[in-house]
Amino acid sequence: MGYITGGFLKAFQLLGTGDPETYSAVFTTLKVSSLSIAASLIIGIPAGFFLGYREFRGKRQVRTFVDTLLALPTVVVGLLVYAFISRRGPFGNLGMLFTIPGIAVAQTVLVTPIVVSLTATAIEGLDERMRVTLVTLGADRFRIALASLKEAQFAVLAAAVTAYGRAISEVGVSMMIGGNIKWHTRTITTAIALETGKGEFSMGIALGIVLLLLAFIVNWGLIMLKKRA
Amino acid sequence: MRKGKVLVALVLFACLLLFAGTTVFADAPVLRMATTTSTDNTGLLDYLAPYANKSLGIELQWVAVGTGKALELGKNCDVDVLMVHAPETELQYVKDGYGKDRTQFMYNDFVIIGPAGDPAGARGKSVPEAMKKIRSKPALFASRGDNSGTHVKELELWKLSGIVVPQKESWYIETGQGMINTINIAAECDAYTLTDRGTFIKYESNWEGKTPLIILIEGDKSLRNQYSVIAVNPTNCSKVRYDLATEYIKWISAPEAQRLIADFKLMGKQLFIPNAGE
Amino acid sequence: MTHETAYRLHDLKFRYSEQFLLDVPSLEIEKGSSVGFAGPNGSGKTTLLKILAFLEKRYEGHLLFDGTDAREIGEEARTKVTYLLQDPYLLKRSVYENVAWGLKVRGERHGLRERVYEALDWVGLDPKTYASRRWNEISGGEAKRAALASRLVLKTEVLILDEPTANVDRKSAIGIRNAIERIRAEDGVTLIIASHDEVWLHEISESVLRVSGGKIVGRGADNIIHGPWRPDGRDLWTKTLSDGQAIFGVGPPTDDGIAVLDPSSIIISNSRPAGMSARNILKGVVAHMWEDGGSEKLRVEVEVSGAAFLCLITRFAADDLRLLPGKEVWIVFKASSMQWYRPESLF
Repeated sequence: MGYITGGFLKAFQLLGTGDPETYSAVFTTLKVSSLSIAASLIIGIPAGFFLGYREFRGKRQVRTFVDTLLALPTVVVGLLVYAFISRRGPFGNLGMLFTIPGIAVAQTVLVTPIVVSLTATAIEGLDERMRVTLVTLGADRFRIALASLKEAQFAVLAAAVTAYGRAISEVGVSMMIGGNIKWHTRTITTAIALETGKGEFSMGIALGIVLLLLAFIVNWGLIMLKKRA
Repeated sequence: MRKGKVLVALVLFACLLLFAGTTVFADAPVLRMATTTSTDNTGLLDYLAPYANKSLGIELQWVAVGTGKALELGKNCDVDVLMVHAPETELQYVKDGYGKDRTQFMYNDFVIIGPAGDPAGARGKSVPEAMKKIRSKPALFASRGDNSGTHVKELELWKLSGIVVPQKESWYIETGQGMINTINIAAECDAYTLTDRGTFIKYESNWEGKTPLIILIEGDKSLRNQYSVIAVNPTNCSKVRYDLATEYIKWISAPEAQRLIADFKLMGKQLFIPNAGE
Repeated sequence: MTHETAYRLHDLKFRYSEQFLLDVPSLEIEKGSSVGFAGPNGSGKTTLLKILAFLEKRYEGHLLFDGTDAREIGEEARTKVTYLLQDPYLLKRSVYENVAWGLKVRGERHGLRERVYEALDWVGLDPKTYASRRWNEISGGEAKRAALASRLVLKTEVLILDEPTANVDRKSAIGIRNAIERIRAEDGVTLIIASHDEVWLHEISESVLRVSGGKIVGRGADNIIHGPWRPDGRDLWTKTLSDGQAIFGVGPPTDDGIAVLDPSSIIISNSRPAGMSARNILKGVVAHMWEDGGSEKLRVEVEVSGAAFLCLITRFAADDLRLLPGKEVWIVFKASSMQWYRPESLF
């Protein structure tokens, strides 16, 4: 299988020679996943916190619902978001189809449940003694919430990493919403799908390796951050 | 509050990336086209786009999907112009009021390919005969099964040969995937399949000539693969760039573009034959 | 010392389950006093302390703090009280951040560093070494001292400590005791401590309340004897100990009544006494002996069949009997000297 060794060689060649198509796809991937991850953290952390922290009627049902969303296939999300942002859809006027913000919105829908669920689990896993300690040291509700989040920060960070991994590696949403438009919405994964569709397997493998490198750099950066904190 | 700082940094970074990338292309008006995978996979569009952009002062962006999905995107007003290859379906589409100004501008041909050993003995036969041989053997046949132009053509060929379109039959493999993938699947299981010549040449180039599947039937009139461009009807979709679409259609059927299409070669072979105005 | 009331409890009940109930008909804790709670595990001490710290609100009845119902207590009053958990929790930050946290929450940033360092000094943690340590870089005892420092630094009016010296190394226990003694010496601080360490509890507290089975069953160092009691056919009721010896009492209110026995009504004898009117003559071994808070008396703990009896005798008598831990003795008390626990009789 020459594809595999060829793929490795090609990956380093693409990166080393600054192949513009490859770098365009890398930057698009970074843009899209950063946007979607930022949005999903902004939405997901407070929601997950609320879900893990507060007791309310129907909480278990909400948890089950969110956990079910974790299994949402990317194409279903893509289809759903397409229906909304197609010109014929309710948000058609925004012209978001085949744009980076469009993919980011769909990816946000895809990964927010991960952030919510893992954050909720992290908050639920906090020691009851922590709450007692915070209260007795004089904290009000807001302070307790903030400190709880900080206590759970590594678990929340892990949630963010997991969500990032999902965003960076999904192909269904990027393909359906982005349309794989060269120089614009072609991400690494849609480029892989395209190259595979063209029968360029070693190119596909090369791009796969580029994606792995990217994921590695992101994870490594977060580990460094964790070490410093 | 390191968490907060990280978050802010992340958002800023994302915004930076977003603006850094988009400004480069912000000037030219964008024409969005839905096209079939064959034109994209062969590299024709990558080859033509710079010329079109230059002479029309636009930026062409295309989404490569099957003909069926391309027509659907036009119906939903998500693109401005279509480049497709399923004439009968297209005519109905225009008649239904979704498309306008349908213009035929090039063709290539379909070929029936199969294992070099040709177990069904289809080589050199007429299309109906060959289809019957494959059916009666039965040899395996791989179908796109995805409403693409190629799939539509294949269904036509079965009808033409007087064969009921096969369904749920063990020798009939519906891949539901793109052309190259379908050819690959056919190669893996020694099956026959129908493909456009362009994609097959591309496939050959990947194999450097030593393909497990070879062309068995070609040149039949019924195997012509006609490509057309269609503007999305502005009465149906108020927001589409009908003006740009019209200009593009004019451009691609004009002599300059027609010559460019004739000059496009892969492995020294011409892939498409321009035929605007025919 | 003023005689204002810090806490007033009235008909306070807390239900854990069908079987177990914390029941405090009446209790007052004066401002500036130090009160100890003694009693076995699961007696309800921790719950009582949590209620006093406004951390447990699912009780029935009334709890007044500074004359205000605890349920309607405001933010300000709540910050007048702090509570140290038996098994304290440190935030996942440095020791410094842990101690400074409560002050920051209160918005008291003035002289923060000095105050944190001072508090660390009190508990015997050298600020230079410990302030920058992370929560997971210190031992259990050090963590408990840091947790105590994070409470002491707040200078609250009320300090509630749940087993402050339990499960820590010797050095930490000494640091904790020193810090508590220092805070006790300060004017107006109300100290409420639950501890197994009764000797120390008696030293540090003006009064020790004994909690058992969810009830405050005695003041000071009374002996508590639980049922069940069986009638022995005469006027007496009897409880048989595991080694066969029996305790006799007069007319308990119920079969499982709780008897309270004043330590000074127990007589210790070197040999088995004969010809006495006292019904209870039990053989045991001296377990511990210690001075009773500056008086001329000695507290002697005698272990009888696994149960500890606290006796209060004069130093002179102890010398005379040559009492030493490990010595075999007999304790003697009248059946009628056992009082039956009645909530209303205590206060």
